[in-house]
Amino acid sequence: MERRYSISVSSSGRKLVSVSQYPVYQNEITFLFGESGIGKSVLSKALYGLLDPDGLDIIINNKTYGHHCNDEWTKSIRANSFFVFQEPSSHLNPLLTIREQLNEGSLEGADDSEILRYLWQTSGDESVRKLIDLYPKPYRPSGGEKQRILLAMAFKRINALINNAPVNEPSYFVFDEPTGSLDNRYRNLFLSLLFAKFAARPFTIQIITHDYSIISEIYRSHQRLVNRVHFKELTRVKGGTVAVNDFTPEDYLKWLETPYNQNKGMFKKNVVLSLDPHFSIFGKKHTVYDDKQHTQVAPLVIKRGDIAYVKAPSGVGKTTLAKIIMGIYKADSFSMNLSGIKLNEKSSQNIWARKIWGTRAGMVFQHADESLNLQATVKETFDGLPGKKLNNVLLKNKLSELFDGTVTDDFLRKKVAYLSGGQKQRLNILRTLVPAPHLIILDEPLNGLDFKSVRKVLDLLEEKCATGSALLMISHNEEIFEHFVTEECIYYLS
Amino acid sequence: MKTDTNFFSRLYNSKDQLWTLIWITGILSLGIWDMVFLNKPAFNKVITGFFNTFTIAFIVAVFTLFLGWMITIALNFTERMKNRVPFLMLMFFLNIIRSVPQIVGVLIAYVIIAQAATRGTFKSGFTIFPAMGIAMSLFIVIELVDLMRERIDHFKKLDFYNAMRVCGISESRIINFHILWKNSRLHIFNKLISIFGSAVFLQCSVDFIISVGLSSDVNSVMLPSTLGSLLAKIDSKQDILAIGSIFTNPSYITNLFTLHLQGITVAFLIVFSLYCVYAISNGFAERHRL
Amino acid sequence: MKNKLLEHLYGIVFVTSILIAVLLLFNSNRKNETSSRNVELNALLDMPISNINDAFQQALAEDAMNIFYPGKKQHNDSLFSELIQLKKARYTTKLQRAHVAQSLSFEKLVSLSGMYLNFIFAYIIVMLLTYYGVQTLALWRFIRHRNTIDQISSSHNSGRSVKSILAAIPVKLFKIIAYGVLFSPAYVLAYSIRTEFNTDSTFFMILLGVLSNGLLITYSNKFYTFLKIEYHRGYVESALVKNLACSWKTDVPSGIPLGALLHPRKRFKGHVLDHIYRNAHMQYIATIKEQASFLITGLIIIEMALNIHGHLTYEMLRQILYKNYDIVIVIILGIFYAVKATDIVTDYLMHRERLKYEN
Repeated sequence: MERRYSISVSSSGRKLVSVSQYPVYQNEITFLFGESGIGKSVLSKALYGLLDPDGLDIIINNKTYGHHCNDEWTKSIRANSFFVFQEPSSHLNPLLTIREQLNEGSLEGADDSEILRYLWQTSGDESVRKLIDLYPKPYRPSGGEKQRILLAMAFKRINALINNAPVNEPSYFVFDEPTGSLDNRYRNLFLSLLFAKFAARPFTIQIITHDYSIISEIYRSHQRLVNRVHFKELTRVKGGTVAVNDFTPEDYLKWLETPYNQNKGMFKKNVVLSLDPHFSIFGKKHTVYDDKQHTQVAPLVIKRGDIAYVKAPSGVGKTTLAKIIMGIYKADSFSMNLSGIKLNEKSSQNIWARKIWGTRAGMVFQHADESLNLQATVKETFDGLPGKKLNNVLLKNKLSELFDGTVTDDFLRKKVAYLSGGQKQRLNILRTLVPAPHLIILDEPLNGLDFKSVRKVLDLLEEKCATGSALLMISHNEEIFEHFVTEECIYYLS
Repeated sequence: MKTDTNFFSRLYNSKDQLWTLIWITGILSLGIWDMVFLNKPAFNKVITGFFNTFTIAFIVAVFTLFLGWMITIALNFTERMKNRVPFLMLMFFLNIIRSVPQIVGVLIAYVIIAQAATRGTFKSGFTIFPAMGIAMSLFIVIELVDLMRERIDHFKKLDFYNAMRVCGISESRIINFHILWKNSRLHIFNKLISIFGSAVFLQCSVDFIISVGLSSDVNSVMLPSTLGSLLAKIDSKQDILAIGSIFTNPSYITNLFTLHLQGITVAFLIVFSLYCVYAISNGFAERHRL
Repeated sequence: MKNKLLEHLYGIVFVTSILIAVLLLFNSNRKNETSSRNVELNALLDMPISNINDAFQQALAEDAMNIFYPGKKQHNDSLFSELIQLKKARYTTKLQRAHVAQSLSFEKLVSLSGMYLNFIFAYIIVMLLTYYGVQTLALWRFIRHRNTIDQISSSHNSGRSVKSILAAIPVKLFKIIAYGVLFSPAYVLAYSIRTEFNTDSTFFMILLGVLSNGLLITYSNKFYTFLKIEYHRGYVESALVKNLACSWKTDVPSGIPLGALLHPRKRFKGHVLDHIYRNAHMQYIATIKEQASFLITGLIIIEMALNIHGHLTYEMLRQILYKNYDIVIVIILGIFYAVKATDIVTDYLMHRERLKYEN
């Protein structure tokens, strides 16, 4: 059965998001893709009755938000469903232990030991029990562990639904970027458990994600459920108006088979970065290998025109490594040669400031919303970069490499805050590419992008390599980057 | 929750604009009432007191902004230096100023200014205004420095700061333009509104205290007449004392607005302005979701 | 915590040293006052003129000077005129200070200690009352705010009509009057009722300390803002999907009992407000230093402006007036210690709270 909703959310007369046919497939699985900031989370929260109406005009199926929250369907789903939010760190109360948070409200009394053991893949309770007696802090437990805590809460509710509720009882389990902080192993474990529960007693599942590699996993490991799965994509129509379209999974699967060509440029392949394979930071030792089995220790070497990819499970320290290279973190011990400059743990940060940032190396941070000045205009984002000051014409040319259509003066004057999530991410990447540093490190560069933009960004990065730039990729999106990077340029971190 | 878009609803929802309008309307209405019922010399005194009080408060806000920005930049610069002594010294002195209650600091500063004025240090009457403004801002500036440092620290914790640094954007541009100007100017402006309110409150209180308690020692004639010193004058004080009589004789209330107008006007201007400034600041913070 | 404590101790030692140095300097200056800066005038200070206002005696003395220092009439005239002015000034000061000059004796210190204890007592009581009042008022306002939003979002005609705006006017007027009282400087409020009540008592000082000078309203507004900010945190969404009680009414079982709201130790078990309150309260503790400084300023204004005899800061004002700066310095030092003690206690409380949630 399918329910369709028209939802409109606006503030002070400005439409934030509006959709006319938002589908909820009862007792089926829906994957919802779309660039970040388009309104996927807002629409799901509105439907679930979780938006704060203060300062908002929310209309659902031509009824006020209060009426929607008080109708039978909403009351029922709120009583027996769950919503797993993205950003697990902010969704746990820092002043209550995880144990207290796992056992309050409607979660109280339900046993969670089996779920925790499964999600942590442990036979004993000891390590998990230690973990759940912690107060959540920004860096402890890790992002992946917090994510699994929220998933455990959802599974407690799923168990309650399976065991207690009648089959036709409405449900609406929303998983908003549930695998954003998980590596492939834990992501697949989560999907397996979820689909196993679904197979035992179907219920309504909506998964909001940017992780297109989930498609391959479903086709690979859960083929039997494919006919119960809907792939949808939210696309912008105009302003805040969006539409829900079908997403064809085959497009993605076919694209994965199309090879990328590297090393097209005609230039001398000098070494840009050579990093000693052993380094340590925060009291932990790390090693770089060039094989999956971690048998061959190898320095991380990147030449002009190369695209290197560093792989490691979530939380091992991929981003930390990038920040050491960029001089943001001071390692306990490390050694590298970056474009002719020898650096180690004793080097002063002033060297990076004077000789490296923006000229020899640049880095794209993973969260565009945090990395960009949202209050600045598009033009101001590029002011102050090293090198020749860009006039409007040059800047428009640069921007048109990643933005559709003609980039106008109005676009240059637009506040970054008013751009969509995908546009922000593209701007984030361009800001680092424009000064053309010798080495460009990209930390999760495909974050928040829709499939079309993913392809566009990868094409641009390929072009950059052809002009002699060296790229270092950091991402947990292994499937896409294994496809994009040649095997000999993949490094493994432990 | 529905948000209307017509002018009055918008004004009602933009509380800072609404209260600015209420403040101006209230003062103008009071001015018209006083023109009718208050004698001319007293009316002129009230106008002078009002003008002086708010001019000094404005100078305090402007100078606090200037001084606060300078101190914040100095702290940020010295904090990164290998030699920690300048930073620690600066922080130490700021903490000392923080430990002196504002009223005590301002009172002593005003006593010194009044004595300097008696000795003829200030060549013209108008040079005393900046001196008073600067003296007060020394004891208020900490509030702004705290806010600005908080904003810088907040953005430094995010990827915002490092993402710009590694692109090669200079630190001073990130701090001054991207953090303080682009992302904190509304917070700073809102703080200046409340500093303006604090300055009015401190100004009136210190002048009241000086006029009541130190008039023979500190030559209060040398300091500009403000609402505080005006309230301390015997005729105003009598007017305020008259308010108490309405507890026993409620019908006396009408006389307050005709016979005791000078004191009532001055008290109203102080309380009404303090409340309006508070409401404007809150409304501004609410409208911009600060 | 150790570093913070050391920083406070350095501050205390530094300020104490500076003020003691000023005190010593002042005392030595006072002693030196008797010896004039001008050596020439100094030599003439003992010249016997029994009545400096008597023109005859003045002429006699001037003649005597011209005999002793012949050929310098012009210089003698100007020196003599300075001498007369100095003698007159000293005479006036002597008369003025005859009843007010005091030194920092043991008796004076004992008397100041009594005043200081009284000041600290009032300060602690006002601090406790505002601590409770700030949170209770802010929570009440927050609960009302959430109720209003719930009502508006459920209502068909959800816009704010002109009628509803008009209906709200009496309530608004009442609020404005209440805010007017809370915003009045203490002296305006006290003088307004002075004819009917004795405003010179410690009790009245405490009452004014809590209600006037904008202290209660400023900080309850701050706490209210913390509550509003915390309401939009992710963990509140998590609490909502776990079906914690979320009604903002005070008269329904899933709402907030009035008793819990008025209780000094506020707990709202099983309600999302418990999550919000805990986090807002944590932030509020950090503002107590600032609040204490605000309160001390308020108490000083109350004592000084109301001329409450026998109270510490009124005494300070009197001593400034009588130029007994050594006593003034001791009082300032006392106030400084009170502020520093509050800073240390607040830092300790913050440290203790943080430790509670350390892993």
